[in-house]
Amino acid sequence: MRVITKGKIALAAAATAAALVLTGCGGGTGSAGGGNSSATSGELNLIAYSGVWQDQYTAAVIEPFKAKYPDIKINYASKRSSAEMLSALQGQKNSPATDVAIMDNSVSTTGNTQGLFDKIDAAAVPNLANVPDKFKNKDGFGPVVMLDAVGLLYDTATFPKAPESWDVLWDPAYAGKINVNAPPSLLGLSLTAITSKMEGEDYTKSIDKAVARLKEMAPGVQTFAPNPDEYQNVITGQTVLGLGQNARGQFYSDQSNKKMGVTFPKEGTVYQINTVNIVKDAPNKAAAQTFVDYALSAEAQTAFAKALFYAPSVTNAELPADVKDRVVPTDGSLNIVPLDVEFLATARDKWTDTWKRQIITK
Amino acid sequence: MTATHTQTPATRRAGAAEGDLERATGRRNRRTYLALLIPGLLGLLVSFVFPLAYMIRMSFNRGAPDGIIEETFTLDTYIQPLSDPYYWRVTLDTFQMGVTVGLLCILVSYPVALFLARSTSKYRGLLMAIAIAPLLTSAVVRTYGWMVILGTNGLVNSSLEGMGLIDTPLKLTNNMTGVTIGLVEIFMPYAILAMISGFGRLSPQLEEAAGSLGASKLQVFTRVTLPLSLPGILTAFLLVFVLSISTFITPRLLGGGSVQVLATEIYDQTTGLLNWPFAAALSVILLVLFGLIIAVYQRLTKKIGG
Repeated sequence: MRVITKGKIALAAAATAAALVLTGCGGGTGSAGGGNSSATSGELNLIAYSGVWQDQYTAAVIEPFKAKYPDIKINYASKRSSAEMLSALQGQKNSPATDVAIMDNSVSTTGNTQGLFDKIDAAAVPNLANVPDKFKNKDGFGPVVMLDAVGLLYDTATFPKAPESWDVLWDPAYAGKINVNAPPSLLGLSLTAITSKMEGEDYTKSIDKAVARLKEMAPGVQTFAPNPDEYQNVITGQTVLGLGQNARGQFYSDQSNKKMGVTFPKEGTVYQINTVNIVKDAPNKAAAQTFVDYALSAEAQTAFAKALFYAPSVTNAELPADVKDRVVPTDGSLNIVPLDVEFLATARDKWTDTWKRQIITK
Repeated sequence: MTATHTQTPATRRAGAAEGDLERATGRRNRRTYLALLIPGLLGLLVSFVFPLAYMIRMSFNRGAPDGIIEETFTLDTYIQPLSDPYYWRVTLDTFQMGVTVGLLCILVSYPVALFLARSTSKYRGLLMAIAIAPLLTSAVVRTYGWMVILGTNGLVNSSLEGMGLIDTPLKLTNNMTGVTIGLVEIFMPYAILAMISGFGRLSPQLEEAAGSLGASKLQVFTRVTLPLSLPGILTAFLLVFVLSISTFITPRLLGGGSVQVLATEIYDQTTGLLNWPFAAALSVILLVLFGLIIAVYQRLTKKIGG
């Protein structure tokens, strides 16, 4: 039997290397879907959240949209987080394959500055007129499409009455029964800002006091990365307290027959805001405008609030009382800890590092 | 004499022709071998060499916040983790995890592998299939299984509480203990397979001979069985070690954010913080560092294995 010599292997390796040099190492891009659609026909490539969000948004918004515009085919690319969406859009920057992105405003702001999104043409999106100024982007980019806030999840058997303060996370009685999503999760970043405020600190200058306080909480935290997610941990009794989003919390509260509740403690909370954005040089821009207009319609916003308890961003959406009570208030009645998105863009890495090195214990 | 004279060139010619023929056949064979290699090499090129080269190039770029990648040639992405004690601790934890999982996996898999290798039962095939059956289920599913078993209200804790052995649940998950338990079970089939294939020199006759020459059962094991099965053990350890240090799913799911190993760190940098150059540099470090460790290990085991 003949043996392939090292020389041959080296030759093959050299050929490979040459091929690499020739092809270069540029970022790969997917080909854009559609490309010749009109406002009422063709394709539309949407990028948005996965899981229960996708299920509910599909049922409450996308299906009715398809019924209204049967000639538009929607391709839904789901991502676990806004950061993953941003990463996907950055990869397609030179030849976009996405038309519309629904993502967290801290991330869409980054997308705006990076030139990934287009400004919204008010004439092509008439429903933009129903979005109050506070929810419009000051430079004309994608507006707020829905709002939610960070809530405290609790086991209703342990807490027949909802806890009133975030302090309960430090209560030794519940040590080992708490789940907290550490940064880069927005939940952990929000808790950092909330704790900073509780300690009377300006988080844009220093988070030292918050870190000291969070260090006291850490040994009582059972998991900093709850699986399958923060809600199921509380529902299955693995933990009795946790950080979560109000909207999903309300949804899972119903799903679990009220085994879990969600509340906004008195010290305040942080908004989680989603914007709807049209990708710059979107292959199906006209259809994208039609979709954004529909997403901002009272019909779509009410339907999604009923389905997953996100607060509408338009003034003409009327919610039934039982839904209105459960979505995050946007009228100024809730104590909100402002988390500036531009600041967050610079602090995300540092805060994540601080949690890993100083707060999370083994 | 003449005969020899006339014969020699003829023989020489015949020999030369034979040599030509052999060389020609050899060339043809070699070409066939190379041609046969092409599909595999192309596959490797696309699925391994390209991404690897892309990753190495990426590691010399500079990552700004929010996923901006500055195309440049910098060593900062390497200097930063290599000069930071935090990343050395993460690397050390990764190494320790690999060694611990490797050793425990050998410990629990060795008896099974030995039994299967020696078995002459007609059910051997079936037993073998059962031993490696867990491979039919994805590691994610098995990790979720362990989350249920090891959780606060899981099988282990509720059984121990039911028997009155503990008052408060043991913390068996969301830490390194949970990750280790999960990984040992998940990699057992690999260890068993690697050991069985490495038990080639193990033969019942040798053990019988040792026994008939007066060795006790313990002596037979320590002086005959164990040394002869050592190549299998060493291969299995290396396999499990490599799989452990590069695994992501189990440390992520059973570690509860408290277990930081290189794989989870790379994931966070890639998907959470979008710092691809830094993640790429960490991946290269993982590759080089552990590549070296493996090379040294193989050197050493070659000596031991004879």
